Amino acid sequence: MSVSRRGFLQGLGVDRTHAAAFMAARGHEELVAEAMQQGRQGAARRPNLPPGVEAIRISSNENPLGPGKAAIDAILGKFPEANRYPFNSTPLDADLEILIAKLNSAKRENVVLGVGSQELLKNAARVFMSPTKHLVIPSPTYGDPAGFAQNALHYTVKSAPVHDKTLKTDLSALLPLVKGAGLVYLCNPNNPTGTINSAQEIKDFVAEVKKTSPTTAVLLDEAYCDYATDPSFATAFPLALATPGVIVARTMSKAYGMAGVRIGYAIGDAATIKKMAAYRMPYNVNTFGVAAAVASLKDPQHIKDESARNKAVRDFTTKFFADLGYTSTDSQTNFIFTDIGKTMTAAQFRDACAAKGVMVGRDFPPLEKQWARISLGTMEEMQKATEVFRSVLKPATTTSSGKGQ
Amino acid sequence: MALSRRQFVQTAGLGAGAALTANVWGRGRENSIWSAIEPNLQAVEHGVICVSSNENPVGPGEKVLGSLRSLLEGGKKPGRYSNQVGELTESIAAHFKVKTENVLVSEGSTEILRAATQVFTSKTKALVGTIPTYEECAGYAELIGNPVHGVKLNSEFKIDLDQMLAAAKGAGLVFYCNPNNPTATYVGAKATRDFLQKLNAASPDTTILVDEAYFDYVTDPDHETHVPIAIENPHVIVARTFSKAYGMAGLRQGYAIGHPETIKKMRQWVGSSGTGSLNVFGMAAATASIQQDADGAFTKNERNRNKAVRDMVTKWFADRGMKPTDSQANFMFVNIGTPAKAFREACRAKNVMVARDFPPFHQTHARISLGTMEEMQKAVQVFGEVLATKKSTAAA
Repeated sequence: MSVSRRGFLQGLGVDRTHAAAFMAARGHEELVAEAMQQGRQGAARRPNLPPGVEAIRISSNENPLGPGKAAIDAILGKFPEANRYPFNSTPLDADLEILIAKLNSAKRENVVLGVGSQELLKNAARVFMSPTKHLVIPSPTYGDPAGFAQNALHYTVKSAPVHDKTLKTDLSALLPLVKGAGLVYLCNPNNPTGTINSAQEIKDFVAEVKKTSPTTAVLLDEAYCDYATDPSFATAFPLALATPGVIVARTMSKAYGMAGVRIGYAIGDAATIKKMAAYRMPYNVNTFGVAAAVASLKDPQHIKDESARNKAVRDFTTKFFADLGYTSTDSQTNFIFTDIGKTMTAAQFRDACAAKGVMVGRDFPPLEKQWARISLGTMEEMQKATEVFRSVLKPATTTSSGKGQ
Repeated sequence: MALSRRQFVQTAGLGAGAALTANVWGRGRENSIWSAIEPNLQAVEHGVICVSSNENPVGPGEKVLGSLRSLLEGGKKPGRYSNQVGELTESIAAHFKVKTENVLVSEGSTEILRAATQVFTSKTKALVGTIPTYEECAGYAELIGNPVHGVKLNSEFKIDLDQMLAAAKGAGLVFYCNPNNPTATYVGAKATRDFLQKLNAASPDTTILVDEAYFDYVTDPDHETHVPIAIENPHVIVARTFSKAYGMAGLRQGYAIGHPETIKKMRQWVGSSGTGSLNVFGMAAATASIQQDADGAFTKNERNRNKAVRDMVTKWFADRGMKPTDSQANFMFVNIGTPAKAFREACRAKNVMVARDFPPFHQTHARISLGTMEEMQKAVQVFGEVLATKKSTAAA
């Protein structure tokens, strides 16, 4: 086995490695959400592309390059152990918890693993909410916690809009909603707006929440944190470790490029994590994912490189839209959120782009008449994609026909 | 915790059961929901024989591993996760000749067990299961604060159908693990069919979850999957896993088969739908596994391989006066006459991982998973040495 594995690895040329990476990376959450929005399952996921056109998929905030070589090698190394449960396998799921703890100056009891961060987001709703303890979210934000709270649990959700110009999460507008809440969910950087709240703002907000409503838990979803380049951003890990009822959720699905591998984790103080761990599904994480996550976390340079690569593409794409006269928010993520409202709606933009082989993000109510979310592919993909955007939008300065073209 | 658990747990039938239950239900799983907190570092090191977790020692087979390799080689279009869920669902449906709306794929069968418990039990509708059985449903019912009724096994360590029927009246969900874990015993197909019918008549709103995790290992001539009943009867669900005969416990794939209405109710509690996901490697391997088993040859080979090992180990114990239950699974449950813990620790010192505790039988019985023939030939040597020491110590 080891011989053939090595042979196989040597056989992986650059293209193949890229393909492998691509495969493991492509995200899922938004894909499903898109499919549901279209009201169909399965085949509906692919747009009707012209014959021979290969889609550029920049709709789901995935890392277009996928995991690094260390992670791919780790996955290949797991083949002989596919039959072993995660608690018998090497590395153990526990080893991943210990590594995460060590990297963040925490202890194992401060860490819980999830099947992606989605299991953690759902479990936080279950642990901290009740029929009388609602969820507080900014609008728009990542929809999973609110969707689960409403549809599966039948609990109440209250929301406050983001700032109308910057689309930054308006923490002061959320504060009046937190009294008696079970949980506040903040995605920072936020999806789909791409904006951040600074470390200081988050710290002050949490302090206010604890003052106003001491039993309310705060879940900080830092899925995109590795892409934040604004120096005012910082992880809330130290805050979570020091504050009962504050949890930070992370995923390997974004910068780590492993959306298909399904590994996430949460960090918090021991008593809070213990509550979350009670809901953790036994043997929830797959052994391939554990091995890939351990290898990835030991390769921080890869994430630095990925963040720099993404920033170059983000700057390029943001500038492209600015040059055409369209404003984007200050994205600190691997997607941008752009105001195309003077020309068309997100749905019109999406359909027009899909017809030319470019898949961009779904509707994000209540902003879908105006704002489109565009995930960032590789520079090469975005160079092609922006040409499509240009032809779809036409230069805004010469467009006088307004919406509905 | 202990107090609140005691409030939830009531025993049906036998009075003696009351003392058992508080500790039986909700104790540690294979590695416990508390694995994030309890130190539990026991990876299978090189040279260690792991016969503690009912895994398939042979694995999923070269074809399946090849399908994973082809994923990494870019042979498949990456990223079409949702299509992979679709393809896996279709492959399972085709295998059982049912419709895709009868199938719900999940993160191991664990997620099905949880979803069924979530949906079909409540504060007033209990979970009913045997003592002992696989703990997930009971542990989860406890977690969400729903009552649990335990039913003792009969003298052959099989599900006591009369007691089960009595306990199940008015219950929300009956967990029917067949073959049963950890006792390895199997209730024949006809008896199960009759039980399902009687239960439907006596308690029309009660749902029965038939866990067929170990079904592929059954050699009793009177065996049949209950899938055909499940697709017709909204109150019967069958749970299956790829972790056992298909040899991919690490990849976390399972599924339920049932009536479309029943499947629909469980769907939002399962990660393969909504905004969740299964991992791509697991989905690819599961799809390849079930497709390669279209003619049943893979499971037949695995069943035969396992049976030869099971017969050898059964005879080894019987020759030494220790009678295992009638195992129809890839593990056995043996009265070794000594606490499982001491046996486990002594075996571990000799590089054999085996025998976690299964109350109320942990003072006398050991569950022994079956490795390969070669592994078991070595393992029984160790069992012999360990049990001989126990006896001589006891005699001294």
